[in-house]
Amino acid sequence: MNTKRIVSLVASLALVLSLSLGLSGCGDKAAQDDSQDSTDGSAKYVVGICQLVQHEALDAATQGFIDALNEALPGQVEFQNKNASGDSANCSTIVNGFVSDGVDLIMANATGALTAAAAATSDIPILGTSITAYGVALDIDNFSGTVGGNISGTSDLADLGKQADMISEWFPEAKKVALLFCSGEPNSRYQIEEVAKCLSDKGIETKEFAFTDTNDVASVTQSAADYADVVYIPTDNIAASNTEAISNVLVPAGVPAICGEEGICKGCGVATLSISYYDLGVTTGKMAAKILTGEADISEMPIEFTEATPKYNASMCETLGIEPLEGYTAIEE
Amino acid sequence: MSFLSSLMNALPGAAAQGLAWGIMAIGVYITFRILDVADLTVDGSLATGGAVCVMLIRAGLSPWLALLCAVLAGMLAGFVTGLFHTRCGIPAILAGILTQLALYSVNLRIMGSKANQALSVDKYPLLLSQRYVRELSLKNPLPLLLLFTVAVIALLYWFFGTEKGSSLRATGANPNMARAQGINTNSNIVLGLMLSNGLVALSGALLAQYQGSSDINMGRGAIVIGLAAVIIGEVIFGKVFMNFGLKLLAVSIGAIIYYIVLQIVLQLGLNTNDLKLITALIVAVFLAIPYWKSRMFRHTAQSKQKGGSQNA
Repeated sequence: MNTKRIVSLVASLALVLSLSLGLSGCGDKAAQDDSQDSTDGSAKYVVGICQLVQHEALDAATQGFIDALNEALPGQVEFQNKNASGDSANCSTIVNGFVSDGVDLIMANATGALTAAAAATSDIPILGTSITAYGVALDIDNFSGTVGGNISGTSDLADLGKQADMISEWFPEAKKVALLFCSGEPNSRYQIEEVAKCLSDKGIETKEFAFTDTNDVASVTQSAADYADVVYIPTDNIAASNTEAISNVLVPAGVPAICGEEGICKGCGVATLSISYYDLGVTTGKMAAKILTGEADISEMPIEFTEATPKYNASMCETLGIEPLEGYTAIEE
Repeated sequence: MSFLSSLMNALPGAAAQGLAWGIMAIGVYITFRILDVADLTVDGSLATGGAVCVMLIRAGLSPWLALLCAVLAGMLAGFVTGLFHTRCGIPAILAGILTQLALYSVNLRIMGSKANQALSVDKYPLLLSQRYVRELSLKNPLPLLLLFTVAVIALLYWFFGTEKGSSLRATGANPNMARAQGINTNSNIVLGLMLSNGLVALSGALLAQYQGSSDINMGRGAIVIGLAAVIIGEVIFGKVFMNFGLKLLAVSIGAIIYYIVLQIVLQLGLNTNDLKLITALIVAVFLAIPYWKSRMFRHTAQSKQKGGSQNA
């Protein structure tokens, strides 16, 4: 290898490093804004957060988790908040960093992050959040509600039987229900299958309408609207990012939607059994505090849920001429 | 913990990921450098490999047989791209995109209409898992990944030395000349695409076991990582490694370097929202180096010439 090659190689590596250093400088500031109470070096516990993708609901869960831990153990926890930008291979890289740093606890936000963390360590406690069904996500037969080992967490599952009941309560005339979801979302399929079972027990016909990504949301929604009297949308991330496109099809067609989550309902639905992802994160944070202080043993902690509140979308009800049922509160605009 | 010691700790994991992706990058090298075809099937066939492997292991098949089936499935994907390109006259880049698009649905079907299928190392006798990457035992994935890499390179080295392999290289180097020699370039392109995507699927199958699940989106952007590995390998070892086998090794090392740089960037505490930007910058810098170097050399050569004429 001649000197020129070495010089250019060193120069290029230095360039990459300085660029990343520059950017990581900005990153540190942003991270500190996220977690005001984190202290450098003096913190007693280090917690690694691996979030699958930038997303309103997941961001809220992470924030709730950080806030709850900062409240329970003020100034004692240092957070390493990492986002895989939607790429499951990045989850492995991030979790690898956590394990090599020897963090005290890993918080895995969404399914891809949880499976990567579970593959990476059987010692460090892992808390999942925003996960719908742990039995499905971790491939556990006859799931009892407690994962055991080094894994526990919180589930964003709102009672699916109740959601199916909502459809028949709001729309007693409905004969056909379209199940609208993204085929790339692990959690959505589980939900629509459960809802379909409950609906068929009531004698209501269902049909699946799956879109693959943002690009075909509108056309798939159109065929769902053509088919159905009512549309059901589960807690689906892609649906959540495309509520405007969905509502632009459903409103002109006069087809109402029952949704699995408040964010989606606010954009394109009529009613929902809503859970707050921030509260879910807070619940997870409280579990984390107990594990860090040694108050609880993660292998014995069952999966926790958060209370769901029935809500409706006032402006959508008005547009479609639907009278809101009693017991439902309006979603704040 | 200091930055350096935690980085040293993270290196085995980064190396393992790099080795697994390196096999995919070698597949990309076959189409991109030897066949001179930009094949975008890889974004789909990587997930196909992972999906086939995970589903078969879950069904109780031995992991080795599952790996073999994954490779065959990947080759089938390459075969389809090849047919689109050679029999339907679709430009290679479009043929790859079409197959990649179709594979999304195919992969979903393979995974039983689920976007993510878990494969726990506690439940199945997996060949490798991220869990043991820092352990000094036979379960450590690094030796196995090294073995796979060496075996793949050795097989390809042998193959490209045979008559068929040489005709494949001729197809990429100069198709008109190859045809004049009586080589069927169309069937060679199909063969090359099958070979490449078989390797990509092998990589996907290894990765799925390593990270403990197959995901419908796991191949998204794989071609970028593959090209990055090829180019990093060429920039660093281009002048040193002249032998074909060593060139393939350079690709694999390129993938390892890519993952180590990514790990360093993450360990530095970067805001991960900038991850994709950093990835693009790393690749862009390595892509630009050969160009800057050639300009620098031309510049110095010209100034030398000028100096010479002034002296005369």
